[in-house]
Amino acid sequence: MNEKDTQNEQIEHFMRKAHLHKPSPELKKRITAEAAKAWNQTSPELSWQVPVRRLLVSAAAAVFVIWLTNCSSDYAVARWRSGGLEIAHQQSLDPDALPEIPYNPLVRHLVSTSRKPSITEASALRSYAERMLLILDEAQQNGASKPPTPAEGRSYLLPTQSGHDSYS
Amino acid sequence: MDKKLPDNMLRAALARNDPAAVELIWDRYAGDLFAYLLVVLCSRHDAEDVLQTVFVRIVQKRHRLAKAHRMDAYVYRIARNEAFRFIGRRKKGRTIEAVTESWLIVPEGKPEPNDLAEQLQAALVSLPQPQREVIVMKIYRQKTFLEISGLLGLSQNTVASRYRYGMEKLRTLLENLTL
Repeated sequence: MNEKDTQNEQIEHFMRKAHLHKPSPELKKRITAEAAKAWNQTSPELSWQVPVRRLLVSAAAAVFVIWLTNCSSDYAVARWRSGGLEIAHQQSLDPDALPEIPYNPLVRHLVSTSRKPSITEASALRSYAERMLLILDEAQQNGASKPPTPAEGRSYLLPTQSGHDSYS
Repeated sequence: MDKKLPDNMLRAALARNDPAAVELIWDRYAGDLFAYLLVVLCSRHDAEDVLQTVFVRIVQKRHRLAKAHRMDAYVYRIARNEAFRFIGRRKKGRTIEAVTESWLIVPEGKPEPNDLAEQLQAALVSLPQPQREVIVMKIYRQKTFLEISGLLGLSQNTVASRYRYGMEKLRTLLENLTL
């Protein structure tokens, strides 16, 4: 270890015979002139400018990411809109046509639930209109002295679905 | 670096946005930065060009420099980034790097000064750059391992081991000259 240290010292001593160039006065003149020019060109940065600038950059980045996500999702949905989704939806409504898949009872239940009549179906609308007419006729016959009370706390204006208590 | 010039004086000039701070920055850092760039770039001409870019960068970032915990480390970081950016551009420009320019000098009066300078320079150039910069900062700028570790953002052990490995290589390279 001592021998190595001595050798290192010898090499250091030997290397110190030479030295590195120092920056010349001409270089100093040139560089300080350039730096002074840069000093005048750059305005002093106020302390509040840094967080505001960061905030703006973050907001712009967020907007860009959202826009990019929208574009990509539109692109992905556009592929399905070109017919593929419709066919897939029609096929999935027939529970007997479904292949053997895991959780088959659950899938069948979901498919049958999706077949529930909705308010927009023609039969439901027809029954709703008939009920309305019936209520109006009764109101006219009774002289419209007092409004009819809904049975079992329900409104007459809302149609009921057979076998279901709610629309959900 | 000029230790006599305290950091506070430079910080105060920067806080006042006083252009005289350029002179203070030069007095304090130019010598060390130039030596560092010479060692990294192995060319006096390139080191001068990059030093100018470094000073312009320092001036542009003077408000951050004023708030920096260690001003010397911040300045070295700028120099390091600019040097590596320059090396990247140089590699694109030239395929074979010819280092024929002298950046090490031997005072007149020594026997065969040019030969000695050339051989020392060739030995230093053959070292890996991380080892070279530590050796030059230690030998030619009289920095301690602690100071070098602070400037380069490395641990003291890393600096010491780089120095040790570099010296071992130099020992074999300069064996004929020293004996």
